[in-house]
Amino acid sequence: MSRTPAILVFFFTSLFFFFFFLWPIGETIRGAFFTADGQFTFLYILEVFRNPIYLEGLWNSLLMGVFSTALAILIAMPLAFMADRYYFPGKSLLTAGILIPLILPPFVGAIGVKQILGQQGALNALLEGMGLVCASSPIDWLGESRLVGVIIMNALHLYPIIYLNLVAALANVDPAMEEAAENLGCTGFRKFRKITLPLIMPGLFAGGTIVFIWAFTELGVPLMFDYGRVTSVQIFYGIMDIGGNPFPFALVAVLLVSTVIMYATSKLLFGRNQHAMMAKATSQGGPRRIPLLPALCCTGAFAGVMLLATLPHMGVILVAFSNDWYQTVLPADFTIEHFNDALGHNLTLPSIRNSLKYASLATLLDIVLGIAIAYVVVRTRLFGRQILDAMAMLPLAVPGLVLAFGYLAMTQEGKLFGFMNPAVDPTLILVIAYAVRRLPYVVRAAAAGFQQTSVTLEEAAQNLGCPPFRTLRKITLPLIVANLIAGGLLAFSFAMLEVSDSLILAQRQADFPITKAIYELYQLLGDGRFIASALGVWAMVFLGVTIIGASLILGKKLGAIFRV
Amino acid sequence: MISIDIKQVTKKFGSVTALDDVTLRVEPGELFFLLGPSGCGKTTLLRSIAGFYVPEAGSIHFDQDDVTRLPPHKRNTGMMFQSYALWPHMTVEKNLAFGLEERKVPKAEIRERVAEALASVKMEDYGDRRTAQLSGGQQQRVALARALVVRPRCLLLDEPLSNLDAKLRLEMRLEIRRVCKSFGLTAIYVTHDQKEALSISDRMAILERGRIAQIGTPGEVYRRPRSKVVADFIGETNFIEGVVAGREQDCLVVKTELGMFHGYPGDADWRPATDEPVTLSVRPECWRLSHGEHLEGPNGIKGQVGEAVYLGEVAQYRFACQGQQLKIFELNPQEDIQASDVIREARVEPRDVVVLPR
Repeated sequence: MSRTPAILVFFFTSLFFFFFFLWPIGETIRGAFFTADGQFTFLYILEVFRNPIYLEGLWNSLLMGVFSTALAILIAMPLAFMADRYYFPGKSLLTAGILIPLILPPFVGAIGVKQILGQQGALNALLEGMGLVCASSPIDWLGESRLVGVIIMNALHLYPIIYLNLVAALANVDPAMEEAAENLGCTGFRKFRKITLPLIMPGLFAGGTIVFIWAFTELGVPLMFDYGRVTSVQIFYGIMDIGGNPFPFALVAVLLVSTVIMYATSKLLFGRNQHAMMAKATSQGGPRRIPLLPALCCTGAFAGVMLLATLPHMGVILVAFSNDWYQTVLPADFTIEHFNDALGHNLTLPSIRNSLKYASLATLLDIVLGIAIAYVVVRTRLFGRQILDAMAMLPLAVPGLVLAFGYLAMTQEGKLFGFMNPAVDPTLILVIAYAVRRLPYVVRAAAAGFQQTSVTLEEAAQNLGCPPFRTLRKITLPLIVANLIAGGLLAFSFAMLEVSDSLILAQRQADFPITKAIYELYQLLGDGRFIASALGVWAMVFLGVTIIGASLILGKKLGAIFRV
Repeated sequence: MISIDIKQVTKKFGSVTALDDVTLRVEPGELFFLLGPSGCGKTTLLRSIAGFYVPEAGSIHFDQDDVTRLPPHKRNTGMMFQSYALWPHMTVEKNLAFGLEERKVPKAEIRERVAEALASVKMEDYGDRRTAQLSGGQQQRVALARALVVRPRCLLLDEPLSNLDAKLRLEMRLEIRRVCKSFGLTAIYVTHDQKEALSISDRMAILERGRIAQIGTPGEVYRRPRSKVVADFIGETNFIEGVVAGREQDCLVVKTELGMFHGYPGDADWRPATDEPVTLSVRPECWRLSHGEHLEGPNGIKGQVGEAVYLGEVAQYRFACQGQQLKIFELNPQEDIQASDVIREARVEPRDVVVLPR
């Protein structure tokens, strides 16, 4: 690409980022530090730290972030090692299946968890049946320690992110590094701690950071557990009166600043030393065959985690099919009534239509922006292209809740973006919100494609008389189409089941996307949770069909889609 | 057939000067080589001719047309890439048809010309293959056909044989020359393999750190190098340092630690003054080694064979003389000479001694 179009792309993407990434964050910060009549104040922030309710929320959010991440690492680390080192029965299927929880909405899964772990739920029923628990005083698994349930749910949803990063990092470790350690007499756990762990630390850090930020500000799961004592939920409830109340602003600002501080600190502690591998692997690495029994243990571990992680969703499916499920291990009797009810409810069909509309428009926007950014970053030597690259990755580091809140604040009537007011029509702002949050996946996918595609393939076309733009269309894009589909699919799936933007920005029933419809249905008394589950199942089926379809188009194994 | 005129071209990458005031002219129909060690600027020059780089200063002309600022797709050059750059998502035929489609050639004619081009590189049976299914040599032929089928104004070859095994390289370099000559194309060929350049080029330019060190036919460059760099890069040689002691017409007399030598300057126009320090370059195969007999003529030295390698058609010796180690090759050796303390004579004709600036 010659300079002028590259500069134009740079300019317009920067503009987009300024208005739809920096601006909403700035808008929130402003709300936290300025009174309604424009006076600077520090009182709101101070009040957050004085108010015991807000303080407790922050502390619980921190616990939620730290323990979700730790648990996710505990789950992912052994799996990643097994996948990197050994062959075992069913490996290709299981390494793909282990990623499924990533795209299952944890928010929907929470319904299943409550059904299984509730006081009158399946687990207590099972224990009663075994005579371990008395029916009159069931254990309240989700009562005082609901936070534990939230943490388990988060970890089971997010471990694939760490797993993917670890597998990539382990594949990069030259086997000779470990052999050298063994040669010098260092084996087993010592070898892991002194050699392997430091070498894969950057990968672990990268995955861990994303998971921490995600869990620290998770909104959907605590909301479904009806657990209000975390900051994210407090912000959500605070939004009801955004006009007059400055505390949601202050909470969001505190959340953002603490994310940044924690990110910087952990980067200083863990992410500092990026050990460059001196040379390409000298000896043949790759997994090796092991005896049947340990191999079966690996299979078991994978299958077990997969089962555990999908258990909430199986719960959801059961809820959706059950007529009545109370104090029994399995539902008393089954029905497909809820699916009809779900489709018949006046929230359902419009919400599916809305989600499809928002998600596909957002994906389209992501693909266009992603190709443009990746092209400039990989293929040009434009000054500042690394800044563009870093900017495109930033949405991963900023909590979705913060952005969602910022969008809401900046589109209030009378503001610069008042014409996008979601109370009037949220389509534009929701599409942008979905797109900004998912842009990193598409940019990474497209950039990987450009990097894998030798630039001489483009030069050859130009040499034969093909102008640059047509070269992009006829040579480059067909060569990276698999990457684009993979990135676009990930963006689409996440957008379909997006929680924080959807709950906060969609305000009129007619504009609800699926997630907000599920949330609203769940609030209904009576058979609300059954209908919500049925809609959740519809969403999962829909997502499954999309992904399987795309994997068929790609002609690759399912897992390959997620190796962005 | 076109001529290619490169006038005072300078190209920089940041603070690195890749091409420094390069001027050369490639005659119509010539097979011209750019030769030099890696990083010398030869590929930069080729890519500037193709249009992938725009030089900071100077101009490039195809015949009378100034193409210096013309984008690559408007230059109508046929380039063959080191990696071949065959598009993996197209068949062989589609790869060849691409350039013709860009030129809006009618469908029927495209079919005809693609078939013709495939035949000219003996690949007519492979049209519907995917490029990944071809061997290295076959890919190389397809890349050549793809560059030729559009009837380019000139052919640009960027180390086209470096990914092939040794035997195939020998075969393909003759093939490339045959194709270039039968199409009557002006061609520029970049390589770091001096054997390729010596064997098939009409003329060559040796580049060194972005500058042209010498331009000439293979014979000129090999026999009359003008600098130590060129003498060292092309073939093997012995350098002997000395100072000019006198002159006998065109012949220079040079005093060295090994004795007096008679020789001729590599650059006939260069006339070093008496007492000017110079370096002599003597190719190993130019020496005659005595097998006990006395050798007549000038330029004689005495020493011992320190190391001998017998290779059949040639024997290679390391000849120790006054503390210096010289390489001496003897073609068609009649006698096994072993390393020994026997003092032997070696002699070289004055025309084989090239006097170079130090």
